[in-house]
Amino acid sequence: MLNVENLHAGYSGDDAVRGISLQVAEGSCVALVGANGAGKSTLVKALCGLLIPRSGRVSFDGKEITGLPASEVARRGLCLCPEGRRVFGPLTVEENLLLGAYPRLPSFGPFRRAASSDLKHIYGMFSRLGERRLQQAGSLSGGEQQMLAIGRVLMAKPRFMVLDEPSMGLAPVVVKEVFEAIRTLHASGMTILLSEQFARIALAISDRAYIIERGSVVLEGPSKELAKNPGVMAAYLG
Amino acid sequence: MDATYIALAQMAVGGGLMGMAYALVAYGFQLTYAAGKAVNFGQGELVMLGAFAGISLAGTGLPYWVSVLGAMVAGAALGWLVERVAVRLALKQHNEGWILLTIIVGLFALSSVENIWGREDRAFPAPWPTGALDIFGISVTWPELAIAAGALGIMTLVELAKRYTMAGIAVQAVSADPEAAELCGVRSRSAISLSWAVSGAAAAFAGTVLGPVTTVGPTMAAALTLKAFSVAVVAGLDSGFGLLIAGIALGAAENLSGYVLGSGWREAPGLILLILALAIRPQGVFGKKIIRKV
Repeated sequence: MLNVENLHAGYSGDDAVRGISLQVAEGSCVALVGANGAGKSTLVKALCGLLIPRSGRVSFDGKEITGLPASEVARRGLCLCPEGRRVFGPLTVEENLLLGAYPRLPSFGPFRRAASSDLKHIYGMFSRLGERRLQQAGSLSGGEQQMLAIGRVLMAKPRFMVLDEPSMGLAPVVVKEVFEAIRTLHASGMTILLSEQFARIALAISDRAYIIERGSVVLEGPSKELAKNPGVMAAYLG
Repeated sequence: MDATYIALAQMAVGGGLMGMAYALVAYGFQLTYAAGKAVNFGQGELVMLGAFAGISLAGTGLPYWVSVLGAMVAGAALGWLVERVAVRLALKQHNEGWILLTIIVGLFALSSVENIWGREDRAFPAPWPTGALDIFGISVTWPELAIAAGALGIMTLVELAKRYTMAGIAVQAVSADPEAAELCGVRSRSAISLSWAVSGAAAAFAGTVLGPVTTVGPTMAAALTLKAFSVAVVAGLDSGFGLLIAGIALGAAENLSGYVLGSGWREAPGLILLILALAIRPQGVFGKKIIRKV
């Protein structure tokens, strides 16, 4: 479903991503594992249109999307839940969720009515968001913000979800909760690309994984096998 | 003694009502700054162009309200254009060239106006009654009331649209985090264009309500940009309410200093206010916000 060929990308100076190729099949959950600064976030940004790659190809559903603006990539159903959650702090929880569905809501019409059943669905999944729907998103706890960020992506009805460091800055109990939600999503058939520095939890949840070091793929394979590889676990204990 | 106080109060009220137009122009700064971190230093020229467009439309025999609406449409188109031809270019190169570019576009607009409409001041025809209302001994004219009602009306309307339409919520999202908004499928360039168009419409509307009070001429532009800028610097670029207070205060101060010190001093308060504000906040109006963003 997603096909990346020999991608090079970076902000300034040297490439942070040096010739990465990867594939994600429909319905699968693929993990990108690597230490902080390995290039995972740069790769994810280049996939989703936040960063224009220097060379290489990204295709989604057989169509090339390399260099398209992020808003167009999102409209095609490839949606990123960004690192650091990036909820709209001054807006309410519900407004954040509505923005997830922005492309299919009327700009000047009765948008709340158009989105009401989708909102109900998200509040059913994350009941705390429902309880706080009129609060400013900035006032939520880190875990709640992560739920909101995931809910916002789900409001877009994505066909492919990219999650960038969903565990970042969260307490272990909350991390467990977030990954439980990701597991449920995968079980319901969502295609997921998960970038995560904690190898153990990422390998436990994914079908396949790519180990990334200094901007290149150093190992790839089924997550179960990688989890048994002593070298991987020693290098990325977490 | 009493007569002096009444005269002073009269001056303050008249100036304060005028000042609400400054607040409306400054509100245009606020809109574009929130969405795209840039303002139009030729905003005063848009006010002037709006006023001239209104005069010309009314001159063709169109009813007053239609002329005002037409002026606003012209203002929206011009606001949109300024962003497209000047601001976007500079921001793409990540520099501050937009400041100079908007000034240049403004100067271009100014000379176009002088060529099309001439250099003389003109009266703006308005259908208001000629008399004045007497409120506790202070007389308030209908055109002055129109400024206050118009400024409040436009600002309220835009604020409501920001909260209760999806387009408005999207513009707020772009101000809060343009990348995250893009990830939601919001085309941030369109949201920024929209806010420039609304800002231009607000400026043109300010021209149509100011016109009947001050007359309309090429000299109004630079003075208005400066006054609106002073108001924006003092009030900050977050709160519409702050703009109104600062605008009213500036308008009143202008009239009072003109009355007490002589008409040559009318423009002094705006400049003094600007210098004081910049001295107290040496990072400038935008400094704090830019630092917070990066």
